[in-house]
Amino acid sequence: MKKVLILSFVLVSAVASAQTTNYQVHSLFVLNIAKYSEWPTADAEFHIVVFGKSKMYDELTKLTTGKNINGHTIKVSQIENVTDIGNANIVFLADGKSGNLDEIVKATEGKSIMVIAEREGLFKKGAGFSFMLTENNTLRYDINNAALAKRNIKVSKNLANLANSVI
Amino acid sequence: MMLKKFAGTCAILLLLTPFTSFSQDLDSLLNLSAFTAESELQKALNKGTTVSSSKALTLRETPGIISVMSSEEIQNTGARDLTDVLRLIPGFDIAQDLQFVQGVSLRGNWSNEGKVLVMMDGQPFNELLYQTVAVGNRFPVDAIERIEIIRGPGSAIYGGSAEYGVINIITKAAESLNGVEVYGMGGFHAGAVGRTNAGLMFAKRSDKFAFDASVFKGKGIVSDQAFDEFALSEVTNSDPMNLNVGLRVGGLAFRAMYDEYETSDPYQFITYNNFYSDLRYTWKASSKLSIIPQLKYYNQVPWRWGDAESGELEFESRATRMHSQLEAVYDISRKVNVNAGILYFSDQATDLLESDMYQGENTFELNNFAVFAQGLIKHRLFNATVGFRYEKSNRYDAAFVPRLAFTKKIENFHFKALYSQAFRAPSIQNINLARTGTIKPEKSNVFEFEFGYQFTPEMLLAVNAYSLTTRDILTYGSEGEGSEFVEWYENATKMGTRGIELIYNIRQKGWYANFSYSFSQAIGGDETVETYIVPQTTKQYTGMLAHKLTLNSSFAITKGLSFNPSFIYGGKRYAFTEVDADGVGIANELDSYLLANVFVNYRNLLPGLTAGLGVYDILDAQPELPQAYNGGYMPIPGRSREYVVKLSYKLDFKK
Repeated sequence: MKKVLILSFVLVSAVASAQTTNYQVHSLFVLNIAKYSEWPTADAEFHIVVFGKSKMYDELTKLTTGKNINGHTIKVSQIENVTDIGNANIVFLADGKSGNLDEIVKATEGKSIMVIAEREGLFKKGAGFSFMLTENNTLRYDINNAALAKRNIKVSKNLANLANSVI
Repeated sequence: MMLKKFAGTCAILLLLTPFTSFSQDLDSLLNLSAFTAESELQKALNKGTTVSSSKALTLRETPGIISVMSSEEIQNTGARDLTDVLRLIPGFDIAQDLQFVQGVSLRGNWSNEGKVLVMMDGQPFNELLYQTVAVGNRFPVDAIERIEIIRGPGSAIYGGSAEYGVINIITKAAESLNGVEVYGMGGFHAGAVGRTNAGLMFAKRSDKFAFDASVFKGKGIVSDQAFDEFALSEVTNSDPMNLNVGLRVGGLAFRAMYDEYETSDPYQFITYNNFYSDLRYTWKASSKLSIIPQLKYYNQVPWRWGDAESGELEFESRATRMHSQLEAVYDISRKVNVNAGILYFSDQATDLLESDMYQGENTFELNNFAVFAQGLIKHRLFNATVGFRYEKSNRYDAAFVPRLAFTKKIENFHFKALYSQAFRAPSIQNINLARTGTIKPEKSNVFEFEFGYQFTPEMLLAVNAYSLTTRDILTYGSEGEGSEFVEWYENATKMGTRGIELIYNIRQKGWYANFSYSFSQAIGGDETVETYIVPQTTKQYTGMLAHKLTLNSSFAITKGLSFNPSFIYGGKRYAFTEVDADGVGIANELDSYLLANVFVNYRNLLPGLTAGLGVYDILDAQPELPQAYNGGYMPIPGRSREYVVKLSYKLDFKK
């Protein structure tokens, strides 16, 4: 029995360490997007919500512990239901939950909530930002400025200049 | 590697600081990889290859069942020639055609005659008369940068000589060398010198200009054993010579190659003389569109053979090819790529012995026209490849072969689902010797599925299953002797194999091991071609392996010194090894064998100097090479244990 347990532990840790998506980099992008964007109102706490189970939550939590953005302390949470979005500043939509985009966009309409989608191309379907993978495996993002403007969120020129595309 | 990891860590640490200091430069984010660091194995797996697609894809996503062997791996094995490398690749084996000429089999099928395309620096080694490729002590194995092998059909891309597979050899001089390299090797049996080969490469390259020139020459024997009353070390030879020159200026590239190979059995000599030239221009019409016109000219005297004792020639024919091609590659978007092309070639054969062997004439002409196209769509869920090739000849029916492939790597898992039709285009002699006066292209249907999983960054397990069915097989036959001798080609009905191949690769710091198992089973039924049938079993064709296990490993003892054992286990084979009183072939079982080899390699013994010492076939198993069909030739006796010494020196130019 002990042998089996040891073996399964080895396999689990091995799986975890194989070459996979590096969510630390995704997290850095999200935090920089937050830093170079402006929300119309500001609470003391800057709230980032990860929608769907994703390693992104762990990475964001690790990176933001004890840190702040533009003077605001950062809170990170993970949710599974649209009703739990509340007054988040950013909703990060995990790839596996991409099908919930429409629902999220509708539920947050008129609110200053930025939706950042992990899956490529979703900026065309209402997300404010969506990520894309380049040929050499680095990360870029596309911006839907119209969707962000409707939510009274402004992105800096720096951020827009480095985007793959802006609509 | 350590330095790179450290640099990556520094970059991430620097990026973390801005959330407190807000002095972040956004640009630096754009250089970070979206994936965790690559292991050494992943670096090899993630390298892009274009051998089975027009746009580079990683080995786990390319639409083909692929093996790649790097110069480092080839050097570590101490491979004596290409046959040693191919034996380590799943599905491949070596057998005898006739007259002690050796060729390849793949996935349990004799594949020497136009079924596996062999290219070196883009030049096809399948000769124009029969489309065969003689292997043995022929290719400059120490000059190889990389061998890319498609273990499945390649006709939709490469045409009528790639029905079962493709072997793409890329030399160091043509690819990576920027300097001078000289190499030499010797192979010694207890009672005979097995081979002495040497070569010299020179290359100078920059972004816009590259020039390379290399020469390779060798001397060897086919076997050191006895055959009838002959000592084969005294009456056989296996002597290669290759001159290879390449020039690239901007988009214009030219390559010329001259290759000579001479081999023999105790009674006859056989020589191959091949000249290749290849001129192509890659015109970047826009950032998305490239147009590539190509002109090629080949001039060969293949399968020239005669009496070893008197020197009298029995067969000498020149074959030439003029080939023109226009291809376009267009990136419709970042995720959609298409390429399409059109080509025309004209083959001409001339009987140099003036015996009017070409249907009563001295010359023979064959003209072919082909169009081909391929599209690649990279979707979130899969990469899809769709392609076809249509080839029309003035001598035989048209062939149309479509191809469809779905592949994807999802985190640690990957899959490939491939369907391809493939064809073997009749060559000059197939048409000339057509028994009924006409001959058709043979056609194959091939289904392949591969699943792979990376348990750790250093470990990959991949398993594939295939089903290969060939119809209208171009089959050689002969009867009679002397002036009564008659030979022919005809389309036989059906044959093929089903099988699985398993690969397990592990690469850790300081050592690696590549294990493979391949299994093939002949499809049964009464339609199978008679010459490939043995009475003992319907599951294996004549001379073919059903089971093969390989282990290729390397252990670093110091930074430069490595100990490299490799093993090849071949299961039972059945082949015609003797004839009865009436001259009818008798099939016998050939025992399974284990080839155990070890090579000790010392890189940079002195700056640029590499030396190696090894033993091939330590157990002296001496597996014989039977004829791959019932053609009346006895097996080539397997060579005995061979001690190998290798030496190379490389001087890099300053950049």
